[in-house]
Amino acid sequence: MEVETGDLVAGAIMLVAGLLGLILASGATDNEMYVFGLSLAAFAAVFVVGLIRRHYDKAEAHARGENRHV
Amino acid sequence: MYDALRAPRYNDDVVKKFVIATVFWGVVAFLVGVIIASQLAWPELNLGLSFTNFGRLRPVHTSAGIFAFGGSALLGTSFYVVQRTCRVRLFGGEAVANFVFWGYQFFLVMAALSYVMGFSQGQEYAEPEWHLDLWLTVVWVTYAVVFIGTIVKREEPHIYVANWFYMGFILTIAVLHLANNLAMPVSLFTAKSYNVASGVQNAMIQWWYGHNAVGFFLTAGFLGMMYYFIPKAADRPIYSYRLSIVHFWSLVFMYIWAGPHHLHWTALPDWTQTLGMAFSIMLWMPSWGGMINGMMTLSGAWDKLRTDPGLRFSVTAVGFYGMATFEGPVMSIRGVNALSHYTDWGIGHVHAGTLGWNAFITFGALYYLVPVLWKREGLYSKKLASWHFWISTLGIVFYITSMWVAGIMQGLMWRAYDALGFLQYSFAESVSAVHPYYVIRMLGGVLFLTGMLIMVYNLIQTVRSPVTERRAALAMAGT
Repeated sequence: MEVETGDLVAGAIMLVAGLLGLILASGATDNEMYVFGLSLAAFAAVFVVGLIRRHYDKAEAHARGENRHV
Repeated sequence: MYDALRAPRYNDDVVKKFVIATVFWGVVAFLVGVIIASQLAWPELNLGLSFTNFGRLRPVHTSAGIFAFGGSALLGTSFYVVQRTCRVRLFGGEAVANFVFWGYQFFLVMAALSYVMGFSQGQEYAEPEWHLDLWLTVVWVTYAVVFIGTIVKREEPHIYVANWFYMGFILTIAVLHLANNLAMPVSLFTAKSYNVASGVQNAMIQWWYGHNAVGFFLTAGFLGMMYYFIPKAADRPIYSYRLSIVHFWSLVFMYIWAGPHHLHWTALPDWTQTLGMAFSIMLWMPSWGGMINGMMTLSGAWDKLRTDPGLRFSVTAVGFYGMATFEGPVMSIRGVNALSHYTDWGIGHVHAGTLGWNAFITFGALYYLVPVLWKREGLYSKKLASWHFWISTLGIVFYITSMWVAGIMQGLMWRAYDALGFLQYSFAESVSAVHPYYVIRMLGGVLFLTGMLIMVYNLIQTVRSPVTERRAALAMAGT
């Protein structure tokens, strides 16, 4: 099953955001930036894992002949 | 004829998520509102802790109300409306729509956290610091691409008027957000930043932003909601489609100039203040044109107000919209503003709009949407929705009347002179005088929150009730 363009776009945005989050957290000079950077990295990781999960859920549903995954 | 087999499968998952977020943030916004209203009446409730003091919780309340509750409602309903009026699925696919949802929620949580931690730009309704502003820009641009992309690939030749209002909201908020948040961070790794503009220029840009946040976030976007959900719930066409187009163009043209009325009697040049005042007064006409259009859509269907509590919310919202958009131009007159500015009259005016117009039109849309999205026959309990309506309406009445009295009293006390030309009252005396009204305002907030909790229960029970098909099957089986 092909990867949708939207998945790639969202994944790419989150990849960049996650890395930026780690960079911001690594050099943070205050609590706010530290919390924001780490949260952004964690958010990006969870979002990308979600994208991967949904992709395989869809692929499995497709293989079973269902036209709609849950 | 509409072919059901060829009907596109809409992305309703993201709309459902926004509906749930709207309800969640509504509870947060109203609860924090009650807490800070109590703090104003009884300052001991600040608890002596930095992160629970009024100054930090107040932006949590305003952002939760406007951007979290209102924003989630706007984004969710815009995705619902644009798909149905264009007869296509959302542009960009599921992942991009999910990014808009989760990215926006991430911004809201991070913003609230930053306020509680003591970080703020000090710009009203634009408190988040530069890094949060940049993140919101990414999310908002993606949202605009999804919404406008859906319109571009529409299968319906006409762009329905609700979509014009939503587009006006999306594009103008993008421009306002970028201009008002131009700031220089202390460093890349520091949250603190300094605005590019300073002094009266900063004040002008801030209130150009601030008033148009009201004009385009809290008005144009919610008018999009009105133009879709009232005709749907009433099962009637819009009273005058031509008037809705005139309403759109006149509203967007005039609103953008009205900001300077927030800066009467300041260092802002007189001509700019007069310009803001003149456009604010002219704005009364398109506002009432829209109100009349919303109200008159019920022509021939007024009886539905007795049986459909959701529609009752929507129509009452339009009434409050009319009231607030009359009060606003009156308060923008420089002479009236000399009395009303910096007093609680302003707070009462804002809440007539946010509670009466924005929250009520959202409640109407939610009562319509939840049974439709979750494929239920109807609401779990119309009686509970009716209780919600009356309790909330009473709460608003408590709120705005107490603030009118408190505000006018403050204004009169601050300007009172004795026979020798000295101020008759100290500021502390005016604070003491409004105490009872602050308590009444807090009670109004408690009533509004109670109504919201009733709605939460009703909507949860609606979702937990059997789906329509199963209910029909049970009825046929005689069980």
